[in-house]
Amino acid sequence: MDVVPKKPNPPYGPKDVQLEDLEGQRKNFSFPVAFDIEHSGGSVGNGLEEGQIGGPKPGHYPIGLLFDLLASSSALPWNITVHFKSFPEKDLLHCPSKDAIEAHFMSCVKEADALKHKSQVINEMQKKDHKQLWMGLQNDRFDQFWAINRKLMEYPAEENGFRFIPFRIYQTTTERPFIQKLFRPVAADGQLHTLGDLLKEVCPSAVAPEDGEKKNQVMIHGIEPMLETPLQWLSEHLSYPDNFLHISIIPQPTD
Amino acid sequence: MLSVSMEEDEFFGEKTFQRFCAEFIKHSRQIGDGWEWRTSKDCSEGYMCKTYFQIKPGTVVSHLGTSAHVQTCLPTEEALELPLDDFEVTETTTGSEVIKYEYHVLYSCSYQVPVLYFRASFLDGRPLALKDIWEGIHECYKTQMLQEPWDTITQQEHPILGQPFFVLHPCKTNEFMTPVLKNSQKINRSINYITSWLSVVGPVVGLNLPLSYARTASQDE
Repeated sequence: MDVVPKKPNPPYGPKDVQLEDLEGQRKNFSFPVAFDIEHSGGSVGNGLEEGQIGGPKPGHYPIGLLFDLLASSSALPWNITVHFKSFPEKDLLHCPSKDAIEAHFMSCVKEADALKHKSQVINEMQKKDHKQLWMGLQNDRFDQFWAINRKLMEYPAEENGFRFIPFRIYQTTTERPFIQKLFRPVAADGQLHTLGDLLKEVCPSAVAPEDGEKKNQVMIHGIEPMLETPLQWLSEHLSYPDNFLHISIIPQPTD
Repeated sequence: MLSVSMEEDEFFGEKTFQRFCAEFIKHSRQIGDGWEWRTSKDCSEGYMCKTYFQIKPGTVVSHLGTSAHVQTCLPTEEALELPLDDFEVTETTTGSEVIKYEYHVLYSCSYQVPVLYFRASFLDGRPLALKDIWEGIHECYKTQMLQEPWDTITQQEHPILGQPFFVLHPCKTNEFMTPVLKNSQKINRSINYITSWLSVVGPVVGLNLPLSYARTASQDE
């Protein structure tokens, strides 16, 4: 299989940008330019190789996800270098306009609903509801966003949860961009599946063996939820605005 | 040949997808249509892939030109290794460039249907924008593309390769495939889901299927 390696972008007119109040910005999507992550003052010594941190990073990923995946041990504010020229067209999605970002966001929301409700909820909504979801996110209006999003978080009374859980697992150590599979929140016997159950099933290398040493951190929104947490609860409460649980598996810091 | 089960939960599972692809590729090999099967590194998933090259006439070319006797549609990359004296390496050449088109057929577990990913690039790797790809498509499909709501195209990450591809959004696939499947059941004639689906969505993005695929689908029982 041919995989084109991501070549590092030659710094050409870089601008240092300080992201203040990262926590407040966490759920936002990053701006539509490519950027090299060059740590200034952060250690690279947690098992990630230089080549994996350098190089262009997907600007259509939520910024909080990028931070968890690449820089969680860095101090805040997170210093990144932004390049405004030489966009690596071959390796990264170009977001030429706000419309393109909106289309990408909505396609993620639709896919999440396909998994949760066979698209029934999203298809029953009007176009203005879809617009409200996007505008609420864009303008940082919690109430406006959740007025619509709460419908996407409901499920029929006779069920114990969604049909399947929308999730993506990211690791810097693998070639494929993420792991996404079908996984039910409730087992056949009615027991709620946990985060640990999910990992054992789709990413067993991430979970430490019974008596083994913990090698990885499983991170969502900068925290490590307990592996016993029910997946259905995580999906309802810790999903990103696109309704997906974006989970980062990073090596355990050595300090 | 497998009849598609209409059971609600496993409308079109990944194993069914792989079976139809295998049969599709079998016929492709017979007629030299160029489709191949590729697997992800951990071999857990696979997809169909076709690459072809086309001469794009009339563009300004900086360094590469080809002589007039080259076919307009070359089947393999090897065929491009023409003898040196056939190349004119100057500014003032015939002015054509070679475009590489790639089509990938993947399975979407979210929508439980196949999805068409595609991209085009020049030989040096520069990608073509969507509007440039449209120029190569027959006029009648351009109108269809603009009218049909299910022809939504977005740019997304290839789930296995990670690179940007254009994607024909799969959310309406069930809508147009269900009548096809229902009909095939009614007249008791089995079909290859992939063949039927690709014959609908392919031409819209410049991918054509020779008719022999259809004849094969109804012959194999």
